[in-house]
Amino acid sequence: MKGMMRFGLVWVTLVAIFGLTVPAEVFAAEEIKIGVIYPLTGGAAAAGRELRAGAELAAEIANNVMADLPMTMAKNGGVKALGGAKITLIFKDHEGNPTVGADLAKKLILDDKVHGILGCYHSSVTKTVSAVCEQYGVPMINGSSTSPDLTQRGFKWFWRTTPHDKWFTKDLFELLKGLTEGKVKGVKAVQKKDIQNVASACENTEWGSLVTEMIKLFAEEYKYNLRKTLLYADKATDLSNEVRSLKAARPDVMLFASYTSDAILMIKTLKAEKIKAKIIWGQDAGFETPEFQKTVGDDIVGILTRTVFLPKVVEVKKLAGQVNAMYKAKTGNDFSGASARSFTGLQTWVHVLEKAGSTKPADIQAAANAIQIPGSELVVPWAGVKFSTTGDEIGQNVLGSGLIGQYQKDKDGKLVLEIVYPFDVATANMIYPFAAW
Amino acid sequence: MDILLGSIAAGILLGMVIALVALGLTIIFGVMDIVNFAHGEFLMVGMYTGLLTAQATGMDPIFTLPVAAVVGFLLGVLCYMGFIKFLLRGPMVAQLLGTFGLMLFLRNLALLIFGSSDKTVHHGILVGKSFDIGMGVIVPATKLAAAGLSVVAFAAVWLLMNRTKIGKALTATALNSQAARYMGIPTGKMNALAWGIGGGSVTVAGALIVNFWAVNPFMGLLFTMIAFAVVALGGFGSVPGAFFAGLVVGLIMEIPGFWDFFTYTFDWQWMADVPMTSLKYMWIYVAYFVIMVVRPRGLFGWKQ
Amino acid sequence: MEAVRNALDFSDFPRIDLFIAGAVFLLFLIFPVFPHSSFAMATMIQFFMFSIYGMGWNTIGGYGGQVDLGKAQYVGIGAYTTGVMLIRWDVPFWFSMPIGMAIAVIWSFIIGYPLFRLKGHYFAIATIATSLVLKDLFTVWPFVGAARGLEISPIRFPPPDFLRLIFKEDIHYYYVILGFFFLSILYMNWFRKSRLGYQLRCIKDNEDVALSLGINVHWAKIKTYAIATAFVSMVGSFHVCYIKVIEPVDIMSLDLSILIALMAMLGGAGSLWGPIIGAGVLIPLKSYLKEWLGAAAGLPGIDLILYSVIIMVVSAFEPRGIWGIVEKARRRKRR
Repeated sequence: MKGMMRFGLVWVTLVAIFGLTVPAEVFAAEEIKIGVIYPLTGGAAAAGRELRAGAELAAEIANNVMADLPMTMAKNGGVKALGGAKITLIFKDHEGNPTVGADLAKKLILDDKVHGILGCYHSSVTKTVSAVCEQYGVPMINGSSTSPDLTQRGFKWFWRTTPHDKWFTKDLFELLKGLTEGKVKGVKAVQKKDIQNVASACENTEWGSLVTEMIKLFAEEYKYNLRKTLLYADKATDLSNEVRSLKAARPDVMLFASYTSDAILMIKTLKAEKIKAKIIWGQDAGFETPEFQKTVGDDIVGILTRTVFLPKVVEVKKLAGQVNAMYKAKTGNDFSGASARSFTGLQTWVHVLEKAGSTKPADIQAAANAIQIPGSELVVPWAGVKFSTTGDEIGQNVLGSGLIGQYQKDKDGKLVLEIVYPFDVATANMIYPFAAW
Repeated sequence: MDILLGSIAAGILLGMVIALVALGLTIIFGVMDIVNFAHGEFLMVGMYTGLLTAQATGMDPIFTLPVAAVVGFLLGVLCYMGFIKFLLRGPMVAQLLGTFGLMLFLRNLALLIFGSSDKTVHHGILVGKSFDIGMGVIVPATKLAAAGLSVVAFAAVWLLMNRTKIGKALTATALNSQAARYMGIPTGKMNALAWGIGGGSVTVAGALIVNFWAVNPFMGLLFTMIAFAVVALGGFGSVPGAFFAGLVVGLIMEIPGFWDFFTYTFDWQWMADVPMTSLKYMWIYVAYFVIMVVRPRGLFGWKQ
Repeated sequence: MEAVRNALDFSDFPRIDLFIAGAVFLLFLIFPVFPHSSFAMATMIQFFMFSIYGMGWNTIGGYGGQVDLGKAQYVGIGAYTTGVMLIRWDVPFWFSMPIGMAIAVIWSFIIGYPLFRLKGHYFAIATIATSLVLKDLFTVWPFVGAARGLEISPIRFPPPDFLRLIFKEDIHYYYVILGFFFLSILYMNWFRKSRLGYQLRCIKDNEDVALSLGINVHWAKIKTYAIATAFVSMVGSFHVCYIKVIEPVDIMSLDLSILIALMAMLGGAGSLWGPIIGAGVLIPLKSYLKEWLGAAAGLPGIDLILYSVIIMVVSAFEPRGIWGIVEKARRRKRR
């Protein structure tokens, strides 16, 4: 009897010691907390709703088993490498304000003790939030902020899946070049002097300012005459001065970088003052949101926008179509560049966690720097996700790519976005010149 | 050339509406010497009123003016009876900060009720239409109508102040409230009336502006400052002063347009690089400062 | 030396006041030792910052009686000077802060000279106008980062760095601003007993009498305005090192200017403790209201609604602020 008791005591003690010394994470952290900071109110609230839905859908797929989706994360419920731990998203609203964003990041890190952060859409907010993450050594993945600056700061805790504005703006000038060379589907070669004059109007925060710099850079490289570059207050309620200033420059090509409410205001004001150009292009963001499309209505036909995803992609990628159907069932809208990239951002988190096999920051960091997600896993038409670890850009996905879409009416009279660039995947003839009003 | 004419046209049209915006402020100031920092917020209320009425009834936004006028009148009287009346007893510091409190209150109430995103008028018989008045100048129909109706409203208030018994009583209180009281004119009621008329005129201006300007809860401050500049230039308390000063300020807001005119007439690239449009409101503040230092009486004012 | 003695001499306050103040200050000193949330620590730092802002404002607004609603521009000058000097030329905080103060003071003289020809509401509106002009200029000036603002990168300036005032933990910032806080109180104590302080009070009471006594009213006001500016700019420099991110639209906003004036007005303009009490009430109120009720709770703006109602009620019914109530009560007790 005494021997058995002693044996039992030793056994109990061993179990106790084991329980106390082994870190909790090994016992399958029941949940992985990811802080998601998006603009849920304010001028970009419409985009914020899409972003949120995209991330939520990705988390849903990751946390449940969906055998019919050809995606690694759909095969398992939760993160397999962490014992099936489920991903919990904690959403916070930064209202478009970088200081608010930074405060929220601090709270998420210190009080909610999140394992990582996803966000923030506005490049200006991403800038401050990532600085907070860098300070505290918390990994952050960014899905849709495109200011080139963000991956040029040498930060070690920041990874960005989306390609950035330098590439996107170059795409635009390639399109213009292609127009003069007759490479654009459905348009005979245009004389360069007909589209020589360019003017731009961008919102004045981090994002718009850098888009303006990129436009200046490429206008010089491709030898276009950049007559005017305007920056306007992102919360402006009246753009008639700006619009008339654009008119004074008499541009053939007008370029914009606007969020939702200013994009709507800009187009409406242009129409009211009867100003137009042969080519009107928006650097995604506001130009892509459902609210913009609904409000501007038929006047939108012919407007070009940089985008990363449009519904036509589903004709090319079956997986995209499947997920898009789920997204549409959830929100009533098709995937857009914002929601698709938010989805991809969270998906990248799942892959990184799987690879890391732990929630320790150093492990996540190593996994992110080494990861390679093949294009077949993604809903966006990229070659994949792989982050650069050397050179002057760290943490930037080098396998992404952009598209340029044009709003057109299909044979049923419905408004759709057709791909006009890259030229080899164009889905329709490009409308040139712009003529909606 | 069309740049110049376009800017002048835009400036004058906008100026007429701004004159109406400032009218309320100058009346309130004239009658009781208090500066209403929440003036821009009243405008914002007018804009939302116009928007909501149009959406709810399907009326064209231009016809929402009577509703806006009534709402503004009531709002003005309510603010006076419920709050301003008590402020008048205190020192000026308290008055200033009190109306600031009112400004924050109205602004955040609007934020709570309407949310922070911009709203604009999308439908209406005038929306989206423009007139080409020759020489390449395009005038949006909404702005033209707004300017015209502003002038009408302005004239109506001026007639009220000068040709009716009540208006004369108001003017009397403005000139010398003690003497007016001895003559049997009740100061309290006159004050409330001033707030009512002041509030009503600015909300009507708001209902007009919402046709071509987006509204969000934060835009009040800009208009408060514009109204101050107009009233300073025209003279605190002068109704005709407000009109002419309004036109001048409207033109000041077109400085970027004039700058563009010079840029492209002389084709100097350095001028194009100056971000004039970003500074378009700054000139108003500069104008206010310069006027107050150089000629505090304004053009027509009788109060210092 | 007499100045220092004056600064340290609190004997004209009733004993009980000094006792309470002493106890409270002791609590401030040991606050970080108690368990606290990061939120509470941040609120305390904000409280000290705004107390100093309020004390600065109080010189011209309270003792001087001229309501200044454009203080935010000097916060901006202080913050940007420190920020730009650090980012471009690696100048540590302790050098750039005095330089920032100097620039702010120079600017205050430049606009103060014409500004003080105005009085009352005209003066107040003019101060707003100058603040907004500066804000707009900074928004387009590429040298200071235009609308994008400045960011102090944690890579280029790794904490902890006392010289540049870059720390990771808030507690270091806490003690630095506490130090400034105590120094400011001592300065204010000197100020109110100084010749300038008495001149101001005379001017506030009756400007004509002051003139007849031979006081150079215009110059006295300008000097006081410069002092207020220096205070505010000092905290602005601290702000940029603490928050590490600034944008013109935030740091030079009218809302900030009003808030600064409010601290002093609510607590009691024209008294030494007024701004501190005002900050002590308003800052925690604002923070916790926002936390519990604000956007997080799905009701954006309700915290500020409550806040503005408080402002309205106080200005309508007790314009001399909390300290005014205390003094009134005391006077009644003495009878």
